[in-house]
Amino acid sequence: MIKGLIKKDLYNLASYKASLIIIVLFCGIAVIGTESINFGPIVICSIIGMISLSTFSYDEIAKSNKYTLALPTNRKEIVKEKFILAVGATILGGILGLLLTIIVVNIINYLRPQDIINIDYESLIISTIGGMWGISLIQSIQIPSIYKWGAEKGRIQMFVLLFVLIVLVAGAGFLIMKANLNINVEMIESFMNKYGLILLAILMIVMYYISYKISYKIYKNKEE
Amino acid sequence: MENNIELNNVSKKYQDFELKNITFNVPKGCIVGLIGENGAGKTTTIKSILNITKSDGTVKIFGKDSKKDEKKIKQEIGVVLDDSFLSDYLTAKQINSIMKDIYRNWNENKYMNLLKKFNLPKDKSIKDFSSGMKMKLKIATAISHNPKILILDEPTSGLDPVVRNEILDIFRQYIKEDETRTILLSTHITTDLEHISDYIIFIEKGKLVFNLPTDELLENYGIIKCSKEDFLRLDKKDYISYKKEKYQYEVLTDNKNNIRKKYNITTIDKPSIESIMLFYIKGEK
Repeated sequence: MIKGLIKKDLYNLASYKASLIIIVLFCGIAVIGTESINFGPIVICSIIGMISLSTFSYDEIAKSNKYTLALPTNRKEIVKEKFILAVGATILGGILGLLLTIIVVNIINYLRPQDIINIDYESLIISTIGGMWGISLIQSIQIPSIYKWGAEKGRIQMFVLLFVLIVLVAGAGFLIMKANLNINVEMIESFMNKYGLILLAILMIVMYYISYKISYKIYKNKEE
Repeated sequence: MENNIELNNVSKKYQDFELKNITFNVPKGCIVGLIGENGAGKTTTIKSILNITKSDGTVKIFGKDSKKDEKKIKQEIGVVLDDSFLSDYLTAKQINSIMKDIYRNWNENKYMNLLKKFNLPKDKSIKDFSSGMKMKLKIATAISHNPKILILDEPTSGLDPVVRNEILDIFRQYIKEDETRTILLSTHITTDLEHISDYIIFIEKGKLVFNLPTDELLENYGIIKCSKEDFLRLDKKDYISYKKEKYQYEVLTDNKNNIRKKYNITTIDKPSIESIMLFYIKGEK
């Protein structure tokens, strides 16, 4: 059943093929121009992650939610499918972003042997994971927003929520600075080097889980 | 007679509309027409049956609670909704691929044959289809898993008479193929129902007005055309409502034989379902 719903969304997303090619070309040009390869995976991952959410707009335009609810499924499966798609898009975006960046850089190096761009794989992987984390945060906020306010209004509400979140984090940072707390930066750095990736992965899972629970709660009570 | 669908006191309250205690059965082998003007509660009733909206009361399908056994029950239901389907950017071929993973009994051959029969292109986006083609695609999608129940919300609205007739033929054929099947069809184009329905359920302002066999409705109901004097002789219990025209009174009765005998009035026309509906909605009592 969920497989059918995923297929429905993937067929809808097939129209983005051309956009993805343009994005890869854009990233390639940007890499040549700036020689900064780390943003490649971030951009590609973010775009693919965000594209996956456009399935909500397709559903809204076709008013297909009502029809989907008449099929042999239930609200829980419908919400679950959207999350599978979002998580899948983030993972795919990360892998594709990383691979495409490496491929594009190698092509550039082949075409411009006099001006080789060195790939720092560790830093590239960190930026990929950073990008994946960022998009998962956006998705985790946006999906419940869309269920609550719809695909169009949800986008505005998402930016408001994101803005509030940034203000809160910045505010907390500012207060810590003001309070003159004695923070052991080295200890944090070494902790992050050791456990940073695991911490980010756990945070991603927790974010998605909470977002899924909220989304289902909203959709369970929503009238179509 | 066994029922495929049973509604008992189904109610739903919105801010500006209320569906009140709707109770009716849809027997096996029957086509049941759900009529009423726009906003009367037909779609809300269908949404309640399909658990698209949460409502009070009970809905049993094949004798089972529609909420508890929702997924299992819906494997046996085909649905056509007037204003909702899959995205317009899909093709009929892609719909086949999607539905194969949604319905256990999806019959790809049947679906492809229906596309051929309806002259529907497989690889063209639905957005390029005419309204008649879209409706035929919705119907092909709804019946290709051989459901026991077909629920249709306004399947003929906005279609020309030729396409409407073709679609009604599909419904007749669907019931003919297997007499344990059922069709619940909501429409405000009541002429369609006169030809195919076994029962008519009339909903007005969220309330069930009547649930009658179509033959009985068309046989027993009558429109009396009479003078003011004759009208004044009529007992209020003997008619449903009346309309005062320029030169005469038109009165709807649900027992025209009684009127003939009791008042010796002979000018009683056979009504259409539409005129009965109009008398209930617009007539005076």
